[in-house]
Amino acid sequence: MAMIRDRRRHKLVAYSLILPFVAIFSLVFAYPTFEVIRMSFTNAPLIGEGEWVGWANYRELLTDRLFYTSLKNNGYFVLLTVIPTTALALLIATLVNRLSGRMQALALVLFFMPYVLPVSVVTQIWAWMLDFQFGILQPAIAFFTGKPVPVFKNPNWVMPTIAVVTIWWTNGFNVLLFLAGLRNIPSELYEASALDGATKWQQFKRVTWPLLWPVTALVLTLQLILQLKLFDQVYLLSEGGPFNSSYVLLLMVYREAFQLNNGGYASAVALVLFLVIMVVSVLQFQLLRIGGKNK
Amino acid sequence: MSGVTLKNVRKAFGAVDVIKDVSLEVPKGEFGVFVGPSGCGKSTLLRMIAGLEDTSGGVIEIGGRDVTNEEPAKRGVAMVFQSYALYPHLSVFENMAFSLRLARASKSEAKRKVHEAAEILQLTDHLDKKPSALSGGQRQRVAIGRAIVREPEVFLFDEPLSNLDAELRVQMRLELTRLHKQIGATMIYVTHDQVEAMTLADDIFVLRGGVVQQAGTPLTLYDDPDNRFVAGFIGSPAMNFLQGRVTRRTEGGMAVAVEDGELEVRVEGAAPGEGTDLVVGVRPEHLGPVESGGFTAQVEMSEELGGNSYVHSTPPSGGGDIVFERRGVRERLTGQTVRLGAVPENVFAFTPDGVRVR
Ligand SMILES: Nc1ncnc2c1ncn2[C@@H]1O[C@H](COP(=O)(O)OP(=O)(O)OP(=O)(O)O)[C@@H](O)[C@H]1O
Ligand SMILES: [Mg+2]
Repeated sequence: MAMIRDRRRHKLVAYSLILPFVAIFSLVFAYPTFEVIRMSFTNAPLIGEGEWVGWANYRELLTDRLFYTSLKNNGYFVLLTVIPTTALALLIATLVNRLSGRMQALALVLFFMPYVLPVSVVTQIWAWMLDFQFGILQPAIAFFTGKPVPVFKNPNWVMPTIAVVTIWWTNGFNVLLFLAGLRNIPSELYEASALDGATKWQQFKRVTWPLLWPVTALVLTLQLILQLKLFDQVYLLSEGGPFNSSYVLLLMVYREAFQLNNGGYASAVALVLFLVIMVVSVLQFQLLRIGGKNK
Repeated sequence: MSGVTLKNVRKAFGAVDVIKDVSLEVPKGEFGVFVGPSGCGKSTLLRMIAGLEDTSGGVIEIGGRDVTNEEPAKRGVAMVFQSYALYPHLSVFENMAFSLRLARASKSEAKRKVHEAAEILQLTDHLDKKPSALSGGQRQRVAIGRAIVREPEVFLFDEPLSNLDAELRVQMRLELTRLHKQIGATMIYVTHDQVEAMTLADDIFVLRGGVVQQAGTPLTLYDDPDNRFVAGFIGSPAMNFLQGRVTRRTEGGMAVAVEDGELEVRVEGAAPGEGTDLVVGVRPEHLGPVESGGFTAQVEMSEELGGNSYVHSTPPSGGGDIVFERRGVRERLTGQTVRLGAVPENVFAFTPDGVRVR
């Protein structure tokens, strides 16, 4: 008897502990999500009721050229950032990991500093540095291309440049994750493999890489989700231009919702983006896990 | 052909001298053991031989070759770590074949060598498992197998058995001895457990504070220790020590006043003069109740082991626990005062600094 009563009390305590979370979660996540889904089937403006239009918004989406351009740009940006930033972070982490105590802390601070900056500061810094007339990086660009390039006004340069800015801004966090992973690998494994005759590269290939794989998979997945949600940098640096060459889905959501007051259509785009992120990241994580098992 | 030779080897971490001028030799095919208390530099010395720590001074030779500045992989040594250091993502087979894969050995050769080693170590049934699916003893054997596959000139072991339970430790100790006989390679083994050292070693090197205190066969160290540290470190239960003062010379030695009586000590050379302060040491197995002479002690309790028992007693000064061994006696002495003595050959004398008086 006592035990049953105990268990009941246990449950009560458990429920009362998760109740605040569930309440807040429903208020700020579940309810808005439900509203967005509902809205995407209406022609509602941003505020106020609309009429039920069924799949009309989605049908319109499939014929919207800007939607395809944005989707393509999102994909292009993912290609430009996810793997490069992961590789770069891994490289930096392995180098930083070799430094001794104080130098390591210093290097880490240097690489992590940009991550602390607000996005508007980051874009401001890079807008200055890449300014067509006065930017201090223009001579470097001129060195390779022969002449200065207005990077945010050139369709070929705009996405890669935003990718570089983004990598510079967020890479510190990935370095931190990799560094934590590297520290988890016992130093004896490196000593044992050195005795076994492994070169530094073989040690990386046969010890570090496979043991770091879970961290790599995590970083890749987090990056994929993060980079698909691209908005701030584009909005602040190029506003989607030139000729929509840096237009992305979230920018489209923003424009439809807040500039054109098409709440229903914006919701449909947002939901599609949400689905894309879900499907792609789950797919990628599963693929990475299978890849990890075969190692 | 020589095995491993160290000449005036030193190691400093920053300003701290950890190894101070160590010279020693482990002849080819012998089993050498470094033993000493925690922090005395055993692991450091072993890692220097392996090439995992660089050497601050002196010369390390393996098989007559100066390897002081050689890379670890080129020294012809294999090391078994205390933590096993198995590659967690590789199967037992791949763990053992690791060095062969690096050397691009052929598939058939790798297979043959790994299977040979697995045979010796009774690991044949476990080759497909990951290390995490093995017991502690099996992991230990994989680590040893990985070393065997490399066919090194010298095996280095850093406290390989300290993570195992007592029973398994005894079993692995026997297996290591068997392995040494079978392979015949030079082995150097680090432990802080003097029983392990005694049972495994051809030669023991007792280290303290980065200095070799004494080197020799287990029985030499046991029967004829150079100083008080070695005398106290080797042997279990440990040797009893008593403060004393020389009272007179005797034929072939001297008599030393200890507690409320005296013990006679055999001295080969010139015995110290009357009134000299000394420390005398007697092993529990050599100390026992006597009719006359010796000193008294009150028995507190005894550890009965069946065949023999260790009796703990307190001398009149109250200083320290005096242990003596009794064999085949069932009579209990608890609470009684007994007179303890030993024959002069079995009593060691040390100066207050711990140097043996012979
Ligand atoms: N990398 C290092 N930097 C500074 N001091 C070190 C380093 N490695 C070891 N030491 C010091 O060297 C001394 C000897 O260490 P070592 O590991 O050789 O001891 P040990 O005899 O193996 O002890 P244990 O039985 O506890 O393993 C210790 O005082 C230790 O603090
Ligand atoms: Mg050690």
